Amino acid sequence: MFIRYHMTPSPITVTPDTTVAEAIDILQQHNIRHLLVVDQQGGLQGIISDRDLRSARPSSVARSKERQNVEEQVNNTPVSRLMTRDCLSLNPNATLDDALLLFQSRKIGALPVLSEDEKVIGVFTTADLMNAYRCLFGLGEKGSVLVSIEDTGDPQAMSKLVRVMEEKQVSFTRLVRSDGGSKSKPMIFLRINTYNVRSVHKALEAAGFTINVPEEFR
Amino acid sequence: MANKPLITIITSSAFFRHDTGGGEHPEAPERMQVITDRLAEGPLANRIRHLPPRPAERGQLLAFHTEGWLFRFEEAVLSGRTYIDHPDNQVGYDSYEIATLSAGSGLVGIDVVEQEPGSVVFCQTRPPGHHAEPNQPYGFCFFNNCVIAARYWQQQYNRRRVCVFDFDAHHGNGIQTAFEEEADTAYISIHEHPSFSYPGTGWAEDRGWGAGKGTILNLPLPPGAGEEQVLRVLPKVYKFIREFQPDVLIVGAGFDAHRDDDMSGLAFTVDLYRQLGVFVREISKELTEGRLVSILEGGYNLHKLGRCTEAYLMGLAETDK
Repeated sequence: MFIRYHMTPSPITVTPDTTVAEAIDILQQHNIRHLLVVDQQGGLQGIISDRDLRSARPSSVARSKERQNVEEQVNNTPVSRLMTRDCLSLNPNATLDDALLLFQSRKIGALPVLSEDEKVIGVFTTADLMNAYRCLFGLGEKGSVLVSIEDTGDPQAMSKLVRVMEEKQVSFTRLVRSDGGSKSKPMIFLRINTYNVRSVHKALEAAGFTINVPEEFR
Repeated sequence: MANKPLITIITSSAFFRHDTGGGEHPEAPERMQVITDRLAEGPLANRIRHLPPRPAERGQLLAFHTEGWLFRFEEAVLSGRTYIDHPDNQVGYDSYEIATLSAGSGLVGIDVVEQEPGSVVFCQTRPPGHHAEPNQPYGFCFFNNCVIAARYWQQQYNRRRVCVFDFDAHHGNGIQTAFEEEADTAYISIHEHPSFSYPGTGWAEDRGWGAGKGTILNLPLPPGAGEEQVLRVLPKVYKFIREFQPDVLIVGAGFDAHRDDDMSGLAFTVDLYRQLGVFVREISKELTEGRLVSILEGGYNLHKLGRCTEAYLMGLAETDK
């Protein structure tokens, strides 16, 4: 759950005098959307996104003559003029939750990760966050299936579930209880590792649980 | 009757000896018996000839699997282990040897098709293969029979462009692993949606990458899907295969999507398997000059497996009436 395990270490950085044209090339080449701007000592100066760079360029519907002049001007502008200074950052011991809340409240897509001495040691983006939660939840883990079980509020539900799995000798890797927020019913999610998914369904039903399947799939 | 073409079944009594522990294990030796019995009793009986498989050689297994896995697998069974990595993957003392024979069934089938293009060839084999990864067994599978057959077809007969079509209820993760970065091989899978079914892979978004971009076609079906949904996706399968232009076609024929098979939530009918037989037969006539080999994957309902297999074979043979 700590950022140090999920960030992209040693990210690609540019210096403040990198031109807009160079920065755009770097973004395209590496298929990324954010660049950290650092000084010679690796200290963070700012962050620049592909959106900042794109909005600095002339509109594609502008008249061609004007467009060419402005484009040349923009291309030679140093990124220091467009970058966001005083940007937020994370330390490597910040948690995924910290990052998620910042992404949501500030509507940003990337956060620099700084060491104790304020040097850039990584970057953490929304894509990293999705990957991190994907790993935590086990999505796409070969040999596993997520079973969703309706939660009736039985305080013993979790231990009963574990008992059924142990009795059936079914290994499982995730057991998550969620109140469903405002959009879903309360559910318990169980990630099992077995081919014989139906036999697990049957065992759970025999123990009084209801497997949640959309009506049209029944 | 005499002028009707033969159906070649590659199988061996050795497949009964792959011991999955009895009890409730669905991948049971009886699977072979119910197919044999049904075919012997049914309308295809006097058109069938049986050929024995030969064991896949080490080099042929290494075309997909790692040396480490071969060693680990053999070591595990000889030392008396009853399963490898996960209790799903039950083994007995003979399992390694039998798995090499299972992997070799496709090779014999390919030799037959190369000599008699257009003939119906079905490998009635176990253990199945499509979940097996290069260095790991998954879901009752130890060697990836379809991939090993594909490599043999490429290497022995220089048929470079191989397409595997897999209608088992489960996604063949191992076949996708083998092919997803290659331009010359394609994998198409119809399976129960990975959010609901083992092995949790086979997303429609996976289309292959690098040189293999666009060579993977995953068609996940929601639980409960049957004939209607399958017939709706078959035109996509046809279009994909036609555009890929394969030299040869391998079918991963699993019958666990039948509505009475507990291993999936899909609801295929016996007749749908006949229609699938007709479908692949027509494609192979049009696009691969009849070069088509079918290899059994799953199918665990002992009351239905024989009938489903028979229906598929009747579909394969139907156009020759």
